[in-house]
Amino acid sequence: MEKINIEEKILSKNIKKADALRELFKEKGVFVLNLVSSPGSGKTSILESTLTGLKDKYNIGVIEGDLQTDNDAKRIRKLGIKAHQINTGGACHLEASGIEKSLEQFDLDNMDLLIIENVGNLVCPSSFDLGEDCKVVVISTTEGDDKPAKYPSMIRVSSALIINKTDLLEHVDFNTEECIKYAKGIQPDLKIFQTSCKTGEGIKHWSSWLAEAIESKRKS
Amino acid sequence: MHEASIAQNVLDIAINTATENSAIKINKVCLKIGQLTAIEENSLKFAFDALKEDTMAANAELLIEHIPIVGKCNNCGKKDTYSEMFFSCSNCGSYKMEILSGEELSIKEIEVD
Repeated sequence: MEKINIEEKILSKNIKKADALRELFKEKGVFVLNLVSSPGSGKTSILESTLTGLKDKYNIGVIEGDLQTDNDAKRIRKLGIKAHQINTGGACHLEASGIEKSLEQFDLDNMDLLIIENVGNLVCPSSFDLGEDCKVVVISTTEGDDKPAKYPSMIRVSSALIINKTDLLEHVDFNTEECIKYAKGIQPDLKIFQTSCKTGEGIKHWSSWLAEAIESKRKS
Repeated sequence: MHEASIAQNVLDIAINTATENSAIKINKVCLKIGQLTAIEENSLKFAFDALKEDTMAANAELLIEHIPIVGKCNNCGKKDTYSEMFFSCSNCGSYKMEILSGEELSIKEIEVD
């Protein structure tokens, strides 16, 4: 019997690949957003509302992750934006190797913004770095205001929180202040946005934050 | 169930290391898992046991050392151990906490023949 000391990060393979992607995105001046949430919180709707306003100014690409179907990629393509669908089969999250492979579909030299819409899941995607600049988590008002407390790991790795479906606030018991309090208790620097894709509330505010991030990453 | 993906990574690292060291069999795999990582121990063990079959780790035992969350307050400087991710300083209540441990997700060592 022999002991062999390893001391290696379990996800080192993914971390190395993500770091290489991050280098590549930096070199090309592409801002990369990893959009995460539970299923049905409105990630694709937020993208539709947001990208409609940004597509004339910026070159955008979208990678969609789902277990099955290319429904989401089709919705993005309808806007005239290049979208690639990854079907994970059964897997609950995207990994850096999948992103690397998808990049063959895009021209990074002519891209300002790459959005990765992760598989709908508030747990697993938090552990897998995709080389993004930041993760943005969406929580919709129908899910309950205690989501940040129940799923803290995702909040902890996110830079911004979008509270979506604010048009439904009058119909549901969702305490926005409580939700924000929980989220900030886990990640004090979290930026907060409140949006409704039905009424358009907050989309402008969120879009200008995104535009600013694109500008600061863009190659001068 | 990202534990399956994590278990596969553990197995790959363990087998590569064992092979490089000319071992024929892996008996134990020791991990360090921080409380801030969203890993469910039973799911991880279940996935590891399913994936290890027909490999040199077929009889390997997975041992997990849990690393507590230790935070240092950037306001008053107090260092303390916390049980949840939602935490403010136990002394002054500030949320400006620096995490000293609890984020570990690593393979510490293996025991081989």
